[in-house]
Amino acid sequence: MNVRLPSWNLLLWLATLSPSVCAQDQVVVKAGKVITVTKGTLENAVILIENGVIREVGQDIEAPWDATVIDASDKVVLPTYVVAHTSGGMSNPNENMANVPYLTVEDAVDPSSQFFEEALRNGVGTLHVIPGNATLLGGRGMIIRPFGRTVEDMAVRTAAGLKVSLDPGRGSRMAKIRKLHRAIAEVREYLADRERREAEFAKEKEAGAVAEDAEFEEIDPKKKPVVDLLAGKATAFFYVPSAAEIAEALRIRDRYGFKAVFVLGPACSKAATRLARLGEPVVLMPELEVWETDPDTDEESMYCSAAELAKLSVPFALGIAESTRGRPTGPTRYPWWQMATCVRNGVDRQMALEALTIVPARILGLEEELGSIEAGKVANLQIVTGDPLQATTWVDTVLLDGEVAYQRSEDPRLRHLFGEAETTEDAR
Amino acid sequence: MIALRQASPRRLHAAGPSSHTLRVGLALLCGLCPAMAQDDAVALRGATVHPVAGPPIEGGVVIFAGGKIQAIGDGQTPLPAGATVIDCEGAVITPGLVDAATALGVSSRDANEQGDEVTPHLHIVDVIDPAAPAFRRARRAGVTTAQVSPGNRNAVGGLGAVVKTRGDTVADMLVRDETCLRVTLGSEPSAGNRPIRFGTPATIYYRRPNTRMGVVWAIRKAFYDAMAYRDRKTVPEEGEPAASDAGMEVLLQALERKLQVRTTARAEQDIRTALRLAAEFGYETVVEEATEAWRVADDLAAAQARVVFAAPSADSSTDGAKPRWHSLNALAAADVPFAIATGSNKAALDLIHEVTFAVRNGLDRDAALASVTLEPARILGVAERVGSLEAGKDADLVVWSGDPFDPSSRPTRVYIDGKEVQ
Repeated sequence: MNVRLPSWNLLLWLATLSPSVCAQDQVVVKAGKVITVTKGTLENAVILIENGVIREVGQDIEAPWDATVIDASDKVVLPTYVVAHTSGGMSNPNENMANVPYLTVEDAVDPSSQFFEEALRNGVGTLHVIPGNATLLGGRGMIIRPFGRTVEDMAVRTAAGLKVSLDPGRGSRMAKIRKLHRAIAEVREYLADRERREAEFAKEKEAGAVAEDAEFEEIDPKKKPVVDLLAGKATAFFYVPSAAEIAEALRIRDRYGFKAVFVLGPACSKAATRLARLGEPVVLMPELEVWETDPDTDEESMYCSAAELAKLSVPFALGIAESTRGRPTGPTRYPWWQMATCVRNGVDRQMALEALTIVPARILGLEEELGSIEAGKVANLQIVTGDPLQATTWVDTVLLDGEVAYQRSEDPRLRHLFGEAETTEDAR
Repeated sequence: MIALRQASPRRLHAAGPSSHTLRVGLALLCGLCPAMAQDDAVALRGATVHPVAGPPIEGGVVIFAGGKIQAIGDGQTPLPAGATVIDCEGAVITPGLVDAATALGVSSRDANEQGDEVTPHLHIVDVIDPAAPAFRRARRAGVTTAQVSPGNRNAVGGLGAVVKTRGDTVADMLVRDETCLRVTLGSEPSAGNRPIRFGTPATIYYRRPNTRMGVVWAIRKAFYDAMAYRDRKTVPEEGEPAASDAGMEVLLQALERKLQVRTTARAEQDIRTALRLAAEFGYETVVEEATEAWRVADDLAAAQARVVFAAPSADSSTDGAKPRWHSLNALAAADVPFAIATGSNKAALDLIHEVTFAVRNGLDRDAALASVTLEPARILGVAERVGSLEAGKDADLVVWSGDPFDPSSRPTRVYIDGKEVQ
């Protein structure tokens, strides 16, 4: 008790010290409708934000007199979307060499990329940017917000997932798998050798052959990410292009005992039953519908990976179209299209919504902070004009950490695309 | 098109008119006595019906038999005895969609004749494969009628046709042959053609145009040749009538405004050229693709041109033409009649989703639905049979799981000529 008292005093003192700061940082969003994602939908509710964190959500909350009020009483408020895996926003997401676990997207993310601009415009508040699928051990990702002028501004978490990919690309599937095993084995051999040398080093130190303050060599930074992976300190974002590679992907994960989030190409849904046994959420690549033609009957059939997984109650996270240069194209860049595609193919609405909010937040280990509107979570909110699954709904305002990061009324590119500015120069 | 048939006797015409007459007769008969018992009569009940030709009907009824629509009405509409009644509560019924620019059922190898840059006498019906999976996919997505045209790699490409997306033979599917003559502007007809650099021209590619100017000249020359051909025909030299030329006959049809010219033009300059050529030779043109129509909406209106706008969801520049999201709003504001089609963009979505993007960008919902039903039917000259739900028209309709412009909706039933299709 004696020890605790001062800390309480300190807290009280801090509280009295900064009332003006607190007051300035209070924001109140008056919403016509709040889609909390995890706790249902509230009509005519108020969200109280303090210092970038949601303090309270409810129908009878009195707004502090000095709080900044955002009136969205004719609009819908929901958490910003979380994208659990993307290689967008980098000018070149794939290194030419097969094994480059020591690379990090921190060095490649281009804050001025239109990919991020478009993501923000469409209500995305958090992205896990990670190297592409063309390498085997492809480097570290980082979690960012699509807002800010530098990578540091954008960073939410550096050193997130490590890309592991089974994309056969050129060359045979067998050769690729063998190469991946070899790369991991090399790191294991290195670790075994290092352990042996460390023991020798300790012995020498004891014998006085080495200086008292000498330290054993650090782990080779080129191998460190894989060492972390093998030690369970990092998570592999394991790209599996088709159903044919799923068994091998599971084997590799279990053999080396690392944590893995499976990132599935659209043709993986054929092995959905196998994935169902995992009981873990997976990430889907942006293309959700895949057409197949039977070579004999010419019958065309369409598979929707999300629908196949939903049938087996496998939770999944949705992706959005990537682009390395310019604006991403195609409908899959829109979260509303992705969610509606799920529903069109028979997925439950709530599950579709969760696939861009709470499920990816959980996959990224951020479910305490992101993915829903609840007290204590980061105030990453989007204010939209209607049902978020409708084509006619637009994102009006995006709040990141309680601050306005996007407003449709002040979006020069939208004005340009709608012909309201004569040239791009005017638009800028 | 007497002249055309003389120039190239077409087996398809033999089957076409007689079966059509038979069907019209049936429809008239049934139209006179709607309450008459019909063995194959189907009544769809309880849906929100968008006839397009009139205001939507909540809890409406659509009755069809013998491949033709018998009646449309509210919940009180009497159902014929013995009709199969299908409950469509909560669903939305629209006419079958009409896609005014496709290459359905045409293999990419067959779409472009490379023997010459001007091939007005080629018929797309000769290469349509009724069993092509593309038809099945289109009809499952609610497209029941489609304009199929030759490809866009020829300056003057040939004659298109309107077909239903279901049938065992092309003759079964055919709604109207020789609907329009395809002409393409821009860089596509010259793409792949090489300018002469070394020695004598060795291949066909050397001879063909390789600039926009060259393409326009190829088109212009074709029409000049047709005019000269007409003169020779009317004033035979030395008493000998000129030999009949199939291609020239087709071009003459266009010059006499008996055949519509479908000009593919994307960039502003190409759209203006399309209008200029039409004015120069006096033919009627419909502008296809029309990506930069937003820049020339007033000129299109002044020229009384109609537009088949392709793939409003497409967002990247093609052939120098910059898409803008308000293109269709601009056409609507200028009162330019337009259809929305999938066109030649390989990334085009299902037709209903293309329109959904136009609605997202502000196009009025009624105009949007008309742009994939009645408007294309009118542009293609088949509005007496398809494009709206009216008694006597073909029973082509789509039952949607909900609002067709809701991207979560999908077609649950599709009927072509009164038959449910898969």
